Amino acid sequence: MFAHVFRYRFKCLIRDKQLVFWTLLFPILLATFFYLAFMNLNDDEAFHPIDAAVVVSGHNQYDAPFKSALNSVSKGKNRLFNMKAASNQEEAAEWLKQGKIDGYYTSGKTIKLTVKESGFNQSIMTTFADQYRSSNSAVMQIASDHPEALQNGLLNDVGNRQNYVKEISGGSAEPNNILNYFYSLIAMACLYGSFWGMKEVSDIQANITDRAARVNMAPVHKLKAFIAGSSAALVILYTEILILLTYLRLGLNISFGPRTGYVLLTALVGSVLGLSFGAFISALIKKGGGLKVAILMVVTMVGSFLSGMMFLDMKYIIAEYLPPLVWLNPVNLLTDAFYALYYYDSLNRYALNVGAMLLFIVLFSAATYLIVRRRKYASL
Amino acid sequence: MPVFKLCLKIFLHNWISVSIYIVIFLAISIALATNGTSELSNGYSQKKAKVAFISKEKTPLTEAFRHELSRSAQFVNLPDRTEELQDALFFRQVTYILRIPKGFTDSVLNGGSAQMKKTVVPGSIQNAYVDINVDQYWNLARLYAKHEPDISQEELAERLQENLSGETPVQIKAHQSAKTSGSFSLYYFNYFAYALSAVLIMGISTIMIVFNKQDLSRRHRCSPLSAGSVNAQLIMANLLFAAIAWVILIAFDFLLDTGSYSTQNIIYFLINSLVFTGCMTSMSYLIGTLMKNLEAMSAVCNVITLGPCFISGVFVPQEFLNDTVLKLASFTPTYWYVQANAHIAKLTQFGWSDLSSIIYSMTVVIAFAVAFAALSLVIGKRKRLMD
Repeated sequence: MFAHVFRYRFKCLIRDKQLVFWTLLFPILLATFFYLAFMNLNDDEAFHPIDAAVVVSGHNQYDAPFKSALNSVSKGKNRLFNMKAASNQEEAAEWLKQGKIDGYYTSGKTIKLTVKESGFNQSIMTTFADQYRSSNSAVMQIASDHPEALQNGLLNDVGNRQNYVKEISGGSAEPNNILNYFYSLIAMACLYGSFWGMKEVSDIQANITDRAARVNMAPVHKLKAFIAGSSAALVILYTEILILLTYLRLGLNISFGPRTGYVLLTALVGSVLGLSFGAFISALIKKGGGLKVAILMVVTMVGSFLSGMMFLDMKYIIAEYLPPLVWLNPVNLLTDAFYALYYYDSLNRYALNVGAMLLFIVLFSAATYLIVRRRKYASL
Repeated sequence: MPVFKLCLKIFLHNWISVSIYIVIFLAISIALATNGTSELSNGYSQKKAKVAFISKEKTPLTEAFRHELSRSAQFVNLPDRTEELQDALFFRQVTYILRIPKGFTDSVLNGGSAQMKKTVVPGSIQNAYVDINVDQYWNLARLYAKHEPDISQEELAERLQENLSGETPVQIKAHQSAKTSGSFSLYYFNYFAYALSAVLIMGISTIMIVFNKQDLSRRHRCSPLSAGSVNAQLIMANLLFAAIAWVILIAFDFLLDTGSYSTQNIIYFLINSLVFTGCMTSMSYLIGTLMKNLEAMSAVCNVITLGPCFISGVFVPQEFLNDTVLKLASFTPTYWYVQANAHIAKLTQFGWSDLSSIIYSMTVVIAFAVAFAALSLVIGKRKRLMD
């Protein structure tokens, strides 16, 4: 009997084209839009050698050392500048105007810099000139205090720079913040699954839908029918989420970290969470299909907003200023589980997130059961 | 004008749901536009990188170093816990976490090879920037320590401060920049594309779907009203709705950005948004002609409003978008609208040659509008004939 109900519920659900659109096609479309819009965003903060120029003053005692200092940082893979030599001020100004360079130095007794705007590239250029000046002044200072230093290789030591910082990575994964958009998108898709749960509960309450009235007539235990139906909904939703994950991973090359098994588990927990949430709201609110849909929509969209789907910093702001909300927002729990799997080496935070989701699932399911059970209809 | 009156009735009946949309979109637009607004400054200012500074030792030199670094860094206080530091880095609350190990100062002064540790956003520009400043300080310290071995840490810190003081003279050669560039209005008018298209498609298609119901349209056809008159009244009602939506949304820009409305740029913003409103009205009319039920419409409405906004530079500015994406986007009117906005924001002179690119963009939007309108009239006619 279970198999029979399962099969027919499955057929019945999968024919709801609108639900399939919102739970499968819409997330896929949105992910594509995200990808198209965000794929270049990280490039904006990346460092590329700065296009710069130098105009010489004509006084060799000033020009030569500065040019050689510039040349030393304009070579190799880790170079600071793509240096061009301008023949005069006018040429450099023209390059600046056309946007060919970010700024140009004018060498001389004091090095001057000409730029168009204040940005990090321009700040790096200023810093380089500062560095040149402070090195010079340090050398003069030492030479005047200890003239013998010049014989002891002072000038050599200035050029011989050491690296005083070593990069160590914070964890095994790169802090690629674009990923959070996609994680919260998956969470949104799971929560959209609540519409399947809502439909399931509506279809066993004989006072809500005709189909439920028909099902209630059949000599099948209500719980059994409900579980069979919910399993069908779960199979559909989980399959949809897997399709979405596959598309993200293979189609859009979104990284989920190395722990694939856990990612799939998270998706499953997320699907069950979505279903049970929809079932709970549907059982709780007796009247008005429109109101149910509105509540599910609002919770999902506000939840997504708070976990950073529209505005990335939101997730951090909430964690900083309203910590309880982090644990009460199911969308954030799911987003954070994916984030923790990708970003942290330890599984502590992931386990906490999954634990909280399981708690929600138990709560929603128990409440649904208590509300829906033993309801009898004298006449319909 | 019975059709026109009916339309108004339908609008009034739905005013709550439409105004909910308007309120939500306004909230989003205002939040995002405020967030995007950049301060216009006339002079040059040094940028500051966000740095978390964690020191395991406190020597006169590390203190002086911290002070010196504050010229190029904005320090962010974070607890020294791995996951919290990682979080902050992921969400770019800091871009550079610097750790000074115990015994570092002594090692530098004695010519040792101890290194500080940094955790950064790999390959980022702020990383390169902070590195230069950090290395310069300690390289100079090493230089002094080597050639003036009897110098105390306090003296050394003082010397370094002297050497590092002073600023490179920076001349800023900006062409006169418009008051509206980077302003609230620019962002607001961009988000306007999203809010307006969503509201119009929802509102206008709702009416059209009602009128396209088979029974209702048959009833219309046997009335003594000509098809032309019915269409004209429908179009008039829709234009009225569009105009009201436009006025409401525009009014908020005037309320919120008091700095821009004395500029001449705002007039062009208004013209541009009006042209775009016309285009969206005719697109909504087309969608309304094509769609049969309200449920499917909300799906179509979402995809059609969100899609072009993402790829045309409403949510993410055009300069951050990939060229291929922009090519694709140029097939939507939204792209041309955003493009015109970007040009308008930068206008400082209003001669013919300055305006030509804006007029070109607007012409493309008008062409879209005409195409949508023509298409919907043709489809409407065909439907009537086939019925």
